[in-house]
Amino acid sequence: MTAPVLDGAAPAASAAGTVLRVVVVNGSPNQQSKTMGLVDVILSALGEIVPFEASRIDVYRLGPGFTGATGRDDVTEEVEAALQRAEQADLLIAATPVSHGSYPGMFKHFFDLVGQYALTNKLVLLAATGGGDRHALMLEHAMRPLFGFFQALTVPVAIFASAGDFDGTVLLNPRVHGRTQMALADVAGLLKARVHPG
Amino acid sequence: MAFEIGVMTFGEVTKDPATGARPSPRQRVRDTIEQARAADQVGLDVFGVGEHHRSDFVGSAPSILLAAAAAVTERIRLTSSVTVLSSEDPVRVWEQFATIDLLSAGRAEIIAGRGSYTESFPLFGYDLQDYADLFREKLDLLLKIREQNPLTWNGRFRAPLVDADIAPRADGTTIPVWVGVGGSPASAISTGRLGLPMALGLLLGPITFHEQTVQLYRAAAAKAGYDAQALPVSINAHGFVGRSSQHARDVMYPYFAQGMMENNHQRGAGFALSRPVFDAQSSPGSGLLVGSSQEIIDKLLAYHELYGLTRAIIHIGFGGMPQQEHLEAIERLGTDVAPVVRREVAGRVVAAA
Repeated sequence: MTAPVLDGAAPAASAAGTVLRVVVVNGSPNQQSKTMGLVDVILSALGEIVPFEASRIDVYRLGPGFTGATGRDDVTEEVEAALQRAEQADLLIAATPVSHGSYPGMFKHFFDLVGQYALTNKLVLLAATGGGDRHALMLEHAMRPLFGFFQALTVPVAIFASAGDFDGTVLLNPRVHGRTQMALADVAGLLKARVHPG
Repeated sequence: MAFEIGVMTFGEVTKDPATGARPSPRQRVRDTIEQARAADQVGLDVFGVGEHHRSDFVGSAPSILLAAAAAVTERIRLTSSVTVLSSEDPVRVWEQFATIDLLSAGRAEIIAGRGSYTESFPLFGYDLQDYADLFREKLDLLLKIREQNPLTWNGRFRAPLVDADIAPRADGTTIPVWVGVGGSPASAISTGRLGLPMALGLLLGPITFHEQTVQLYRAAAAKAGYDAQALPVSINAHGFVGRSSQHARDVMYPYFAQGMMENNHQRGAGFALSRPVFDAQSSPGSGLLVGSSQEIIDKLLAYHELYGLTRAIIHIGFGGMPQQEHLEAIERLGTDVAPVVRREVAGRVVAAA
């Protein structure tokens, strides 16, 4: 199994096209992030199922070449590379904290720059963290419609964790681990169907 | 393990909504020690003082109040409820509670908490951003100090200890360290993993509020190799024992409502607890321990049955309460409630064995 690479750079080996390319789009502004604590759990559970190479795009660290862009033509090369990486993923993990009742504007700004048909039929796993359980439906009421616009294939089970499920950024609540297993069982089925259609 | 019943206070210095009178801090520290003595005399098992760094409580230094209580009591256990360990130096906490342990001939205990009030963090120069890391590290140090002396230890938030002699030691073999848990799954799990006794805090809500907390705690403890059923668990809830159901609610309500208004801030203002809401929170299915002696007996037994508790500590006088009413509630709890609950729980334990 290939160890997950989370250095933000595109994995070199993915050019061969044989290893599953997982790209995490991270909507958290924090270096020490519960959202990434949740993604660590998801990737580690995914590693039990299928080999993959992962990379991560931190939308809050893409810089002025990203924040100053009002359209795809305005972005810098590095941002263009990040957008293409997301568009070419085999599995996109859209992970963000709930902020002001939805995903943060910076997260939306990234997807505003993604091509309208660039995510068509793409496998997208939704994950979010929030201060309490009352934020959980953001995944269904805000995140899923966003990928509905893109005509992406969102995984049926979205994964949510509350602040109280974490010690610092380490996810402790076994119920969230269970929810993750359930979501990934569907991911496994969908991946299998894509490799062996019919 | 015999079922233990106790009382706790924050040393409230609050204006009486009925008379407009505000007790002086001097009066309140003396009231607090008198409550400890009264609780001891009626045979209660535990007396707790909470830590708050504000003018409306005299409990910024609970260890000093507990030391004074040690001098006027004989049998009752003396605990912080809680020690805000995240903003404390565990070396100092140990020294203070070990001293109380000597003064009281082995009756000191610590409930270590993260703190639901945040005033102590800037006071002692800590960053709330480090909330989780501070507690984890300081609890680790406190437990190491308890285990071994001299101690060599390294951490992020204080200078390293090299072969440090930390004295005095406990009067007996150890000082119990509980962890205060408000209900977040992660606190319950990390407490269970350490095999430490868990003190459940309940402000308002259904009596079943902590079912998942206790399940997660016991599962984590069992997974870490501890005998999960043998670990002590306590409930710490607000309450008042009155002459009758009506008397208890009538006495407690105005003070408790004031406490909620002055402490439970949201949108920068307090939370108005109406009488019907308070009455609902006092029903058999809710967590508040307010009522006649018989009601409190029933509710403590219900708590015991739900969670397999070993201890209940009632916080009397949140929002301020006249000392006379406070002392009478302690007396009813010690003389009418505690003996019945202890006997009934002992009967259950025998039946289960």
